[in-house]
Amino acid sequence: MSLGLRGPKFQRSLRLGVIYVLCAIVLIWALAPIYWVAVSSISTRRELYAQPYKIWFPSQPTFESYHTIFTQGAKFRDGSFSPTAHLMSAGLRNSVIISVASGAIVTLLATGAGYAFARMQFRGKNAIFLLIMLMLPLPIWVSLIALFFIMSRLELVDTLLGLVLIFVTLLLPLAVWMMTTFVRDIPSEIQDAARVDGADRWRILYSIVLPLARPGMVAVFLVAMLTTWNNFLIPLIFSRSDDSQPLTIVLTLFIGQYEVAWEDMSAAAVVTMLPPFLMALFFQRYLVRGLTMGAVK
Amino acid sequence: MNNARRLLSSDSRYVIVVLTPIVLLIALFIYYPAIDTFGQSLTNRNLRIRRPPKAVGLDNYVKLVEDEEFWEVTGRSFKVVLITLPLEMAVAFGIAMLLNQRFPGRGIVRTLSILPWMLPGVVNGFLWGWLLNGEYGALNGFLYQFGLISEYQYWLREPDHQLFWVCVVQTWTRYAFPTIILLAGLQSIPDDLFDAAKVDGANAWHRVRYVTFPLLLPSFGIALVVEFIAAFQIFDVVWTLTAGGSAGGAMNPFTKTLMLYNYELVFRDLRIGLGAALSYIILAMSLAVGVIFVMRVYNQGVQEQ
Repeated sequence: MSLGLRGPKFQRSLRLGVIYVLCAIVLIWALAPIYWVAVSSISTRRELYAQPYKIWFPSQPTFESYHTIFTQGAKFRDGSFSPTAHLMSAGLRNSVIISVASGAIVTLLATGAGYAFARMQFRGKNAIFLLIMLMLPLPIWVSLIALFFIMSRLELVDTLLGLVLIFVTLLLPLAVWMMTTFVRDIPSEIQDAARVDGADRWRILYSIVLPLARPGMVAVFLVAMLTTWNNFLIPLIFSRSDDSQPLTIVLTLFIGQYEVAWEDMSAAAVVTMLPPFLMALFFQRYLVRGLTMGAVK
Repeated sequence: MNNARRLLSSDSRYVIVVLTPIVLLIALFIYYPAIDTFGQSLTNRNLRIRRPPKAVGLDNYVKLVEDEEFWEVTGRSFKVVLITLPLEMAVAFGIAMLLNQRFPGRGIVRTLSILPWMLPGVVNGFLWGWLLNGEYGALNGFLYQFGLISEYQYWLREPDHQLFWVCVVQTWTRYAFPTIILLAGLQSIPDDLFDAAKVDGANAWHRVRYVTFPLLLPSFGIALVVEFIAAFQIFDVVWTLTAGGSAGGAMNPFTKTLMLYNYELVFRDLRIGLGAALSYIILAMSLAVGVIFVMRVYNQGVQEQ
């Protein structure tokens, strides 16, 4: 049994070996920056600021930085603290409220509309659908300039309500598009039978469509939540204070305004990216499906 | 007959109830302000100057087109597009080819390799800014430790380098989307084609060149359209990587792309009229590519039925 170097078994393991080396390169490219910020956030300053740096895991991991950013605010380089103690907790609260509320509202609106677009005939249907979808690929930037003045007239600048309304609107096209597709994929026989039996649309929506469209609704909710959580431009324009500033804004305040310790900023970055990171790990199927929809079908 | 009419009216009631809030929100928050912004672009409104705005026709557009900074910024935006797109497609094609192989653990590699796409852009800019930091950054530490550099480098000091790193970070943020699109394209290519090519004596390179690549062109097309818009309107990543001045200080001029320039005009300099005009110029430039995308969505959405 001397197959030598050309044997099929050797060829197979060579192939796998090459593949795993390539995988390692891909994973280093994808994850190294994330790993580095996570390590920074649990390092002591002495180790982190060592030159040359050669410790790739802290010898005494510490959660000190997390404690600091939530209780004392950002640290100046000279060791004193900026008066921003509550910024992190306010940002976390705002981020959670905005993204959960926007996700829930947009999911409800899109489910009702998705059913109408997928299963009903009515006047103006195509026109309304086009009106909604037209803003999907277009930059909403042209609207934001005048919207700022409208929002200040409505006294909705720097309020959570204002942000939720804007996010819901921006998410609607994708959400309606997704739900329309999902509802269309549900076999229509049961709905037709229920219609013959005299059930009205609300009843069909509630007792037939909702249970079957649940995976679609989950996808819409998760995509909406992720998009809202990650957004920066909208709160940059429409938030002024900790009344409504989400974490993405707080992070940039930490970076720009004070010359803050990197371990503290790293901790703030980790807090900001942790929810999307976990969502991407555990619900990736849903998210990928939603985020690539419209582009591939 | 009576029954039919009752059903019909309950149907329209349903449609009105579910669509009214949507249409109202979109009309009030998107279309009305879009028109209003255009109206403002025809005035010389400037909140720094205490005078009622006057209608100036197309003056703002003319002013922009004659302005040197506008062309500088526009050129920079196209530079970002021209560096980012090839970089992104190359990375995405490589990873998609790898993930198209069968091997144990493929699912996990796939999940982990598209993570950066799901993170906030401002965090990504921060991550890389810290990684590339000249004093304490990990890239310096790593390269120094392995003897690849003899002293720490300030990666983000030179203006040209800054723009290059902006493109790298944009690539890191976005490559997952084209990867997924290309992977889906790859998986739809039937194996018979490769077998046939093999029988005809094509080597691995020829199979990629003459079978895989032509069949992937539609996928590349979709990916390029979407990524063009993303790169052309780059904002978040630049803001935390190289823009500086998030607390109202001056914006770094070397990485000022169209969107940052527009933000500065409107919300820092308060030159509403001029900024509104710029936003419409950006829209027009994106539109050529955007329209193609709309048509795809619309055709598949309504007319598919």
